[in-house]
Amino acid sequence: MLKGFTTILIKELKELMRDPKILIGMIVLPLIMFPVLGLVMGFAVQTAQTEAQRATLLVVDNDCGNWSQVFVGYLNSTMNVEVLNNTSPQSVIDRGLLAQYNSSTFVVIPSGFSDNLTRHNAGEWNVTGVVNAYGVFNGGGGIFSGVGGSTVTAVIAGFNRAVAPDVVAVSQSSVIKGTITEGVSVSVLSGLLLTQSIALPITIMVMLTYAMQIAATSVAMEKEEKTLETLLTTPVDRFAILMGKVSSTIIVAGVAAVTVLIGYNYMLGSLSVGIAGNSGGSVDLVALGLVPSVGGYILLGISLFFTLLSALALAVVMSAFSENVRGAQALVGYIYPLIFIPAMALIYLDVNSLPLAIKAIFYAIPYSHPILAAKAVVTGDYGTVVFGIVYVAVFTIVIMYIASRLFATEKILTAKLKFGRGKAKQHSE
Amino acid sequence: MSLAVEAISLTKQFGQIRALDGVSFNIKPGEIYGLIGPNGAGKTTTLRIICTLIKPTTGTIKIFNQDATKQPEKTRQIISYLPEESGAYPNLTGLEYLQFMAKLQSKPDTNLKATIDEAIQICGLGDRLKDKAKTYSKGMKRRLLVARALMTRPKLAVLDEPASGLDVLHAYHIREIVKSYVKEHGVTVLMSSHNMLEVEYLCNRVALVNKGKLVVEGEPKALKAKFNSENLEEVFAKVVGFA
Repeated sequence: MLKGFTTILIKELKELMRDPKILIGMIVLPLIMFPVLGLVMGFAVQTAQTEAQRATLLVVDNDCGNWSQVFVGYLNSTMNVEVLNNTSPQSVIDRGLLAQYNSSTFVVIPSGFSDNLTRHNAGEWNVTGVVNAYGVFNGGGGIFSGVGGSTVTAVIAGFNRAVAPDVVAVSQSSVIKGTITEGVSVSVLSGLLLTQSIALPITIMVMLTYAMQIAATSVAMEKEEKTLETLLTTPVDRFAILMGKVSSTIIVAGVAAVTVLIGYNYMLGSLSVGIAGNSGGSVDLVALGLVPSVGGYILLGISLFFTLLSALALAVVMSAFSENVRGAQALVGYIYPLIFIPAMALIYLDVNSLPLAIKAIFYAIPYSHPILAAKAVVTGDYGTVVFGIVYVAVFTIVIMYIASRLFATEKILTAKLKFGRGKAKQHSE
Repeated sequence: MSLAVEAISLTKQFGQIRALDGVSFNIKPGEIYGLIGPNGAGKTTTLRIICTLIKPTTGTIKIFNQDATKQPEKTRQIISYLPEESGAYPNLTGLEYLQFMAKLQSKPDTNLKATIDEAIQICGLGDRLKDKAKTYSKGMKRRLLVARALMTRPKLAVLDEPASGLDVLHAYHIREIVKSYVKEHGVTVLMSSHNMLEVEYLCNRVALVNKGKLVVEGEPKALKAKFNSENLEEVFAKVVGFA
């Protein structure tokens, strides 16, 4: 054994385990984050299953032949089915029949379906019956979107096993913002949106944590080096000191928001190429209206900017309660679960599919909003984005007010938070 | 003639800790006044109250007849503070730091160039002022900060341990700066120090502070005579009952 190794190891372990940053980052955070994520995902699965059980499949029988009736009968034996006759797919949407029957998917049996099945069974194997499944794409992008289309595919596979192999094929299409897009399934679109959903939350997560560390370090460094004490004794308005500090981070935040948007826009453009739909052609997100408009980008930028600003202001306030850079970074670490949990959860989940209480929690966390906004601008749900911007702006104003009060009093120098003893303490010389 | 500093029964409570307990003293204009005492005696707390950083729990502090608690903005226009072991902004050059602080401390009629030239002369760092502060030694940094504190010719300069932790030559340089500056410009200086020799050399009068109380005050020579001691260190030990 190396001489002194054990002594050094024990000392290092004591140092590491007593460092709150390590305790939070490596032990407390995973212990909180993953159970919470699991809980949220569990709720989402439960909700998706309940909704799937309650869902009604709307079947438009435009064939009205023997085989179409057999087919509808088979569907009826496995799902809740409502049948309409002689209706065009667009008419189903325009008349609001999906909402009326609480359905997100409908199947159209075109005329000639029974003839084709009869010919197939008579030996013309190259002739098959095709049904068209239409799924409503709501832009939520959760892992459970496209469940309707998959269920139809599974039921049709069951029908084929019962009647004849490959006798019925299904063509998947999507209903995007009330318009039918032939040959592109909801699951393909959801997959695309999921790809987008991974990139932006992770970028925002990294950006927010970096920005908070920088802002907290900036104030804590001033305290540690005692340059803040010097500044506070100059004939300068204390609010000017705070605003000078926050404004510089605002500029950095603004540049960061623009940088993210440029990268995000480039990524969306790249994704539009080379993703094939059912029809064999590529899925053009721009043509489908599934990329943000110019106004959407501006709103997303504003949302990102305010979220960064609120995080920076909070970091400034929190660092006021620490004596040095190390302490400030540890304090800011307590905020990280509020950044990581929504970011990770909203990658996989559509917030609209969550139970109300969980949905409210996500909306209450300011750092959820740019992620929610990124999804909302794709579908043109600007109300959600504007609500988020207003909410985060109000949150920021409150934090800024607290920061200005801190800078106006001696608390900026004397206040100190000690977790474990429960409350703010002050220190003397 | 009004007093430069008039501290009347200052107390400061931090939670359960009484950092100051009825401290009173006066400083005349143009004087160098020293606060001496052990760590935790209340020296820095007193200086912070005078510099408007914190408010006394009770008591009054007047700087050139202005109530520092009630009129902190006006007080900040006539004082300059050098905190103990303070640093400069590491990524600014020495010159940029002086320019930055001169702008913050200037009045509308201030000649910024003259102020900065004065600081350049006081610190004596020459071309090294073009280098970033993070490349400076502790002594160089302190010289820069002392120059910053004096360059605007404040009516009252408050220096917390101005030469603490410095080698003999840098400490000597700083003491010379303070002494000659006061002589030349009539600036009043309130300083704290652990170094009794430094205080004896620089200060016209000193106050010994212990456990938040001012225990004795006077001219170094008079105190030494009164307590039949060879130096202020011995005076302090006798006053607090250590010797």
